[in-house]
Amino acid sequence: MAFQLIRGLSSGTAPYFSLALLLLVLAYLLSAATQDTSRLNDLFLYIFGLGFICLLLLAGILARGLFRLYRDFKRKAPGSRLTLKLVSLFVLLIVGSTSIVYGFSVHFLQRGINSWFDVKVEQALEDSLELSRNAFGIRMRTLLRQTRMMAGVLSELPDSRLTNSLRELVQLSGALDISIWNMNGQLVISSIENPAIFIPTAPDESIVRRLQQGEDYIGLDPGPNEELQLRAVVMLPRQSILAEERFLHVAFPVNEHLSSLGKNVQDAFTDYKELSYLRKPLVTIFTLTLSLIVFLTMLASIWFAVWISRRMVQPLQELAAGTQAVASGNYNTQLTASGHDEIGFLVRSFNQMTQRLTQARNASDRSHRLLEQQTSYLTTVLGSLSSGVITIDNDLYLRTANVASSKILGVNLQQRLESSVDTLAKLNENLHSFALLIQNYTYKPVGWQQQIELQQAKGRQTLMCHGTPLPGETGWVIVFDDITTLLQAQRNAAWGEVARRLAHEIKNPLTPIQLSAERLQHKYSSLVPPDQTETLQKLTDTIVQQVEAMKDMVNEFSDYARSPGLQLESVSIGDLLREVLTLYQSHANHQFTLLNSPTEIFIKADKNRMRQVFHNLLKNAIEASEEADMPVDIVIRYQRLLQQHMPWLEIVIEDHGPGFPPDMGDKLFEPYATTKIKGTGLGLAIVKKIIEEHGGNVWAENLNPEGAGIIIRLPLEEDEA
Amino acid sequence: MVSIMPACVTVRRLLTSFFLVFVTVQSVQADAFHVENAHTSPAGNGYLLNAQISYPLNPRVKEALYNGVPITFVQEIQLIRIYPVLGEWWQWRSNIWSTELRYVLRYHDLSQQYLLHSMETKTHRNFPTMEGALQAMGEIEDFSLPPQHTLDTHDLILRLRSQIDLHALPSPMRPGAFLSNKWDLASEWREVAWPSN
Repeated sequence: MAFQLIRGLSSGTAPYFSLALLLLVLAYLLSAATQDTSRLNDLFLYIFGLGFICLLLLAGILARGLFRLYRDFKRKAPGSRLTLKLVSLFVLLIVGSTSIVYGFSVHFLQRGINSWFDVKVEQALEDSLELSRNAFGIRMRTLLRQTRMMAGVLSELPDSRLTNSLRELVQLSGALDISIWNMNGQLVISSIENPAIFIPTAPDESIVRRLQQGEDYIGLDPGPNEELQLRAVVMLPRQSILAEERFLHVAFPVNEHLSSLGKNVQDAFTDYKELSYLRKPLVTIFTLTLSLIVFLTMLASIWFAVWISRRMVQPLQELAAGTQAVASGNYNTQLTASGHDEIGFLVRSFNQMTQRLTQARNASDRSHRLLEQQTSYLTTVLGSLSSGVITIDNDLYLRTANVASSKILGVNLQQRLESSVDTLAKLNENLHSFALLIQNYTYKPVGWQQQIELQQAKGRQTLMCHGTPLPGETGWVIVFDDITTLLQAQRNAAWGEVARRLAHEIKNPLTPIQLSAERLQHKYSSLVPPDQTETLQKLTDTIVQQVEAMKDMVNEFSDYARSPGLQLESVSIGDLLREVLTLYQSHANHQFTLLNSPTEIFIKADKNRMRQVFHNLLKNAIEASEEADMPVDIVIRYQRLLQQHMPWLEIVIEDHGPGFPPDMGDKLFEPYATTKIKGTGLGLAIVKKIIEEHGGNVWAENLNPEGAGIIIRLPLEEDEA
Repeated sequence: MVSIMPACVTVRRLLTSFFLVFVTVQSVQADAFHVENAHTSPAGNGYLLNAQISYPLNPRVKEALYNGVPITFVQEIQLIRIYPVLGEWWQWRSNIWSTELRYVLRYHDLSQQYLLHSMETKTHRNFPTMEGALQAMGEIEDFSLPPQHTLDTHDLILRLRSQIDLHALPSPMRPGAFLSNKWDLASEWREVAWPSN
């Protein structure tokens, strides 16, 4: 229960102030109770006990507070060090100052109380008492003699005369009363001056005992109001042994002045003695009271110190926690501002700071998101570009590369970001040329444009490269396009134009030449001598023949140049190939193999043009094999395949002939690029033209160990698949 | 002045005996006051109380006395009526009458006498010896009990005791006196028997 009380008391603000009030009241009560006249005097012990309980309670509360402080310090709770420092400082101050005040107070208390007393004064008082006794002593001896004389006189008188004699004696001696008593304490006779008293007070038993031992008594006797009188008691001499033993009791008055002086001396002496005797308990009580109040004050002050330190450090503690939170990235921390002091200002500043930080972070997040959006936008744009785009930094390290760049260069550049151009150059010959180009043109920050020829597996590739320095000279962006097709198209167009004009310009004079030659033969064969007729015949035949040949050649030219609109229709590629092959199967030495696709493949194509393609290719293959005296063995296969998520139809025609000469390579499909003895050199050019008109692609490969392959790829539509 | 004593006798006696043992131990230590003998005698329609109380004073008390501190002695006399509610098991004790006889004893240095002042009778007596004064004080002679309360002495208890009135001590001494057993000289309650008829 005591622990619960302590716990309850040591939390919150109210107990502190109620305790302070209680201590004040207690201190007042204690100081009041130590005053002699106070009504609280009797309650001193209870008040002191209450104070002591308060002291214990306070000690408990303080112990708990200090223990909590120590525990926090051990756990390294934020702010505990500062609290401990503050508390230690306060405790040092409180204990130091209070101890000094306490020490001096106790010292002054003891000195103050002790200074009331003096050895000399005490001696003087004792001496004055002695003096008084001596002064009375002289008178007492006189009176004792007087009394004894009275006793002598009275003893000789018979009892019947005693009354008168006593009265006379009273008047003579000036005594207050004279009485005669027997040894049993019974009054025999008395004479009293004072009319208010009828019976004199009996002498004490001890006096009677002294008388029996033969000692007379004379002594000072303080009256009810402490006025002094002298009392003498003497034995009455007995006349006979049988007579009753009696004693005489006489009370004499003391001079009023002397009596008052004696009383003064007595009072002063008694007061001084009492005070002196009470000195020790007085000092003890004052010291105890002072100690209690001092200890209560000290403990309460220390408690208050602990409390105020905690209160002072609490905002700092929160600040520390808040700072840690901010450091760990939580910018939403808001502290409760308290007070208008510097700490409150600090807390408000902290709150402002976190608000600003939150705003800044939100802005940064927004811009970051925007940047990401823009980056992804750019990436998408770059990704869908057909041009290759790469960026390099000033140290010629690859920073970005889009999909098209990898496709054009035939190397996955996106997997090689952050590698240097030099490293890339080592990958293959083409990249080496490309890297060399970059190195040559990026030493000064000026935009450039260069064309570069690369050797790819499919043939020669021409790239158009543009280099532009990035803003802030942070690197370069290099855009390159594969312009091989474009160049090809340009070349084809030029050839077409040449062929058309040639056909037109040559074909026109050919018919008159032929007609003229035939007419010459017809008209002039009869006119020439008969021996010359044969010659004429021969010459004109030659002319006609050659003109005919020329006509064929010109027709072929015009075929190449002519590009009529395609008559597209859905064609089964298998059927078409089989149809073409039937024309060639009449020759016994020729072998054709068609590897069919498991499913039929339909393609949108111009049937006649495609037929011409296959004829040209088959003729080419047969002629090539025959010229090399090799068996004609041609394999044709077709299949559907996916490339770059697009469906394609691939047709491969392979022969086992000598293959293409290696130096032909990229020029194979250009007009007049022939190795054969016969032929115009337009066959493959026409093939390429038709395939390209269909949006496809054609290239040649030499087979291993011998033979050649022509690969055609035509785009398929999705529903044709 | 009415007290209810809800106690079964055994328990009460047990407690009383514990208390007595405690008090006795203390009394032995402090050499307490003691009612030596006490008896009543019929006188007229009432009773007279005669008793002798011994006052052995210890050096602590004597020291105070010699140092000018007046010591107040109290003699308490009580008449208690017993109303048996449930026989001996449940008694209702009612204090129907009580009185206190107070004496102040002091030492007179000049006359070297012991002054005894009775607060009730306002009388002063002087004694050359302390023993004389104490003896005179301890003698209760023919103290007349109130006749209106003593008509029926059946179930009536007369008891007396004596002690030093610590509240009359000078205030600096009081806390010490209250806590010290040197000052706790109170005699036990002495029940006085009624004369048998």
